[in-house]
Amino acid sequence: MTIRIAAVGDIHLGVGGAGSLRPSLATLGERADLFLLAGDLTRHGTADEARVVADELADLPVPVIAVLGNHDYHGEQPDQVAAILAERGIRTLESQSAIVEVGACRVGIAGTKGFGGGFAGHALDVFGEPELKALARKSAALADGLAAALDELKAAGCGLRVALTHYSPVPDTLAGEPPEIFPFLGSYLLAQAIDASGADLAVHGHAHSGSERGMTSGGVRVRNVAQPLIRRAYALFHLTESSLSEDEDATGEAADRSQASESQAAELQASGARR
Amino acid sequence: MTDDTEYRIERLRHRLAHGELAELGVRVEARGSAVIVSGAVADAECREVILRAVAEELDGLHVQIDLAVAPADEPARAEEL
Repeated sequence: MTIRIAAVGDIHLGVGGAGSLRPSLATLGERADLFLLAGDLTRHGTADEARVVADELADLPVPVIAVLGNHDYHGEQPDQVAAILAERGIRTLESQSAIVEVGACRVGIAGTKGFGGGFAGHALDVFGEPELKALARKSAALADGLAAALDELKAAGCGLRVALTHYSPVPDTLAGEPPEIFPFLGSYLLAQAIDASGADLAVHGHAHSGSERGMTSGGVRVRNVAQPLIRRAYALFHLTESSLSEDEDATGEAADRSQASESQAAELQASGARR
Repeated sequence: MTDDTEYRIERLRHRLAHGELAELGVRVEARGSAVIVSGAVADAECREVILRAVAEELDGLHVQIDLAVAPADEPARAEEL
């Protein structure tokens, strides 16, 4: 079985942005099983911009699951942005999980905005001024939230797990950006969480001038889907059952996951809808 | 290049970030005797707004523009993973 995942980030719709993406989504239902949004959906994070996004992406024929990005926080009302999106059926995750049933496969999405802090060897630590320590702690907390969400999906027996973030988990997909700003573009803590809890794919945005492809040190494929980078309405990924994690089959977890209860999945779906 | 080129570059970047576009993805960098403005923006209107800001903030400097409009068409194919 092939799971078809469409994903884009950094669409940055302003109040005049209606109609900029919708025409290219006309065949989405024929090409994808779910649609992931990797943050920076708005320009300033205002309610008016969120309504433009919600209208632009409403009533699509596949489930739409999002994380917010730094632009969506700029207006300091991310909960309202998420609520407006939710009114039109777009589920926003922050340190949460959601499950989409695609045929016989239970596809799990673990989402967080994530944060900066940089990458191994040059990363920010919890040291020094309170403001810097707060940034480092926040980055760690969001990475912990991602790990917990991935663990939830594993417990629920998801056959495929995707980590959805705005900030990057690896420097690979930042290649092309000035190295000086890498600490503002991602954190190794996200990759550490992904590798510790396991995922089949990691998708992020944020780095408009970066690169599309990367990999964590644990071997999880990472894709940067920032729209200014991919230069198409969305990126499309096909994951076949044979490409899913082989260690699960080897340890018998593939059989176990078929026994996960429907009520457990429903609980997770409900938790994924909360903010 | 003038003595205050680096400050003018940062003024431009600040203006782009805090203006109507909230544009943080465009690169503005001094290189040799020129200032290079590069990146990809959503549409031609965004590009015009940025070019107006560049003309005003970097007036008198040698500026090279490499600012593309990113298409948002359907993908031609999927990546098989």
